[in-house]
Amino acid sequence: MTFADTISSARAENRTLLSEVEAKAALGDAGVPVTATSLAQTREEAAAQAEAMGYPVALKVVSPNVAHKSDVGGVVLGLESHEEVAEAYDEIIRSVQAAQPSATIEGVSVQEMASPGVEVIVGVTTDPQFGPVMMFGLGGIMVEVLGDVAFRLAPLGEGDARDMIDEIQGRQVLDGVRGQPPVDLGAIEAMLDRVSVFAAEHPEVAELDLNPVIASPEGAIAVDARIVLAEA
Amino acid sequence: MSVPGHPLDRMFNPKTVAIIGDKGPNYMWLRNNQPFKDRGGNLYSVQIDEKEIPGIEELGVENFRALTDIPEPVDYALVAVPRHVSPYVMKDLIEAEVGGAAFFTSGFAETGEELGVSLQAQLTEMAREANFNVVGPNCMGLYLPRAGVRFNPDVPVADDGRVGFVSQSGTHSIMFSLVMGANGMHLSRCASFGNAIVLDISDYLEYLTEDPETEVIAMYVEGVKDGPRFVKALRAATARKPVVVWKGGQTDAGARATMSHTGSLASPHAVWQGIMRQCGAISTNSLDETVDAVKVLLDAKPSTGKRMALMAMTGGQSVSITDAFVGQGFEVGRLSEQSYEELSSFFNIIGGSFQNPLDMAGTVQGKRETLERILGILDADESVDALVMEQSAMFGARQWKDHPERVEDLVDTLASHIERSAKPFLMVMHPAHEEAFVAEVRLKFAERRIPVFASFERAAAAAARALPQGTRS
Repeated sequence: MTFADTISSARAENRTLLSEVEAKAALGDAGVPVTATSLAQTREEAAAQAEAMGYPVALKVVSPNVAHKSDVGGVVLGLESHEEVAEAYDEIIRSVQAAQPSATIEGVSVQEMASPGVEVIVGVTTDPQFGPVMMFGLGGIMVEVLGDVAFRLAPLGEGDARDMIDEIQGRQVLDGVRGQPPVDLGAIEAMLDRVSVFAAEHPEVAELDLNPVIASPEGAIAVDARIVLAEA
Repeated sequence: MSVPGHPLDRMFNPKTVAIIGDKGPNYMWLRNNQPFKDRGGNLYSVQIDEKEIPGIEELGVENFRALTDIPEPVDYALVAVPRHVSPYVMKDLIEAEVGGAAFFTSGFAETGEELGVSLQAQLTEMAREANFNVVGPNCMGLYLPRAGVRFNPDVPVADDGRVGFVSQSGTHSIMFSLVMGANGMHLSRCASFGNAIVLDISDYLEYLTEDPETEVIAMYVEGVKDGPRFVKALRAATARKPVVVWKGGQTDAGARATMSHTGSLASPHAVWQGIMRQCGAISTNSLDETVDAVKVLLDAKPSTGKRMALMAMTGGQSVSITDAFVGQGFEVGRLSEQSYEELSSFFNIIGGSFQNPLDMAGTVQGKRETLERILGILDADESVDALVMEQSAMFGARQWKDHPERVEDLVDTLASHIERSAKPFLMVMHPAHEEAFVAEVRLKFAERRIPVFASFERAAAAAARALPQGTRS
């Protein structure tokens, strides 16, 4: 399914929020590293997909109505076996139905777990005057409380991605603190560049969050993805 | 000097100016523009009110009852008529093929009322259809210091303007021009553009980018209508000369409806700052920050280095100047061993210090050779990127009043140093209890292009913003 098809089907269903599976597929096609993610619609499918992917895996509910998956018990992380995956599948369906009975549940996504690293956020928003704008920041408390983020117009030019990284107050965290190794800045730059091209080429994308992206010495990979389409 | 062939060139380099609808008893616009006449320009009035005409002629300005009666091509017109008359004036402006017109007249879309909105729409349509250059309406129009075209009776007439200014606010354009003048810096061209129904910020920016007289561009902007065009014009401008953008209205309005984390974090202010950096522009938030940044750009040599040599007159000031510069991300580190060796041979360390910062009043004691020697040592020191010197009016004012030649001597010492040195040099002169006196003295420094700042904090902030883009060679 191409991104154009995804947009058409979302439009046909009168929704602007793409599922995580849809968002990751589109970004993956655009060359943005995302954790392997597949949609399972039964506990058996989930277990089989996890076997194929390799452990550990994470399971997350897929629903067009659920905005914050963990708030409704829709996320289980660190599953290590076939049995754990099957049980977690049932548990997610049960909790989401209990917490939000009106939600349409399309299934559960089975996802590769990223290796540990520094959480960062990469995003896109649309400025009414200037068009698509890229955002970069450190994840977690730095972005939530301090709003420690940098913005640039998309697409990014030569050196812009690095300037964004260097602009944030918590920049030093990426060089490694408390004995942590420095993360691969080039991988973050490449991700920012690719997402910015994706945003510039798809004006239908009003907003995009890759939150978190796990940055480590080995690279940068988006663990969660959200795309909001502009109103048709 | 001009930009031949540019659509705005005639109005920015006028030989003939018409003031339309100016009224007594003050005849504000005719009086503002007397210097244009004095400098050989053809200044005419257009006024149909018989009562007003004698007063106009008394000012030595020939009056015509219709713009189209003026016997030569009008390059720039300033329109100050009641708003309901403005469409008739627009018709004449177009017919007479005037180079461009500024409408001081207000009461248009900015009122939000129906008549104002429809009059503005009418003017816009007429001008667009005729491809006519309109500045404003609801603005102060152009200020051309060399030509003598002015929007205020106190802004200077000057031949050495090097700074172009574009402003959404009329008040800020006047205030900026006055404060720049009080700091010994002059404008090349200035446009207050108000409602911008035809010519918008990007048009002026494009002209100033091409204008050979304009070495630095500054602007006051609250919002832009065509974001992508502005970004394109700004990028083209910063590729040619430094641009300072003073953004007004920075308080973020209510939260926007958003379904993403990114959207909720994207305050208009934060996004604006990012775009300015991306375009290579220098961001400021106030008049003083803008004037200070321009001062660095005009009169400091460029440096991307962060290592400062700081010179103060006393111990307390040494601490404060260091706090200010370190607070802006500069380094105040050790000088080279050779510098210490040389300084130790004559520096008075009783009540002084030459570590860095240098606490040096007791050593210099007004002696030119000693100051020159210190400046020479710091200039030669490879661990120093830029020099900043404090000279407070606290002690200085009394001495300078008693011995005016000491001011001349200090100015000459510093100006000669700057000419010899490749490193930026900034001076901090706090007015202390002598505001008026310092305002005069500061001009003597400005004449020799020694950039003087009123406080450590202002100097440090301006240096952090603008030193890398200093234009002085």
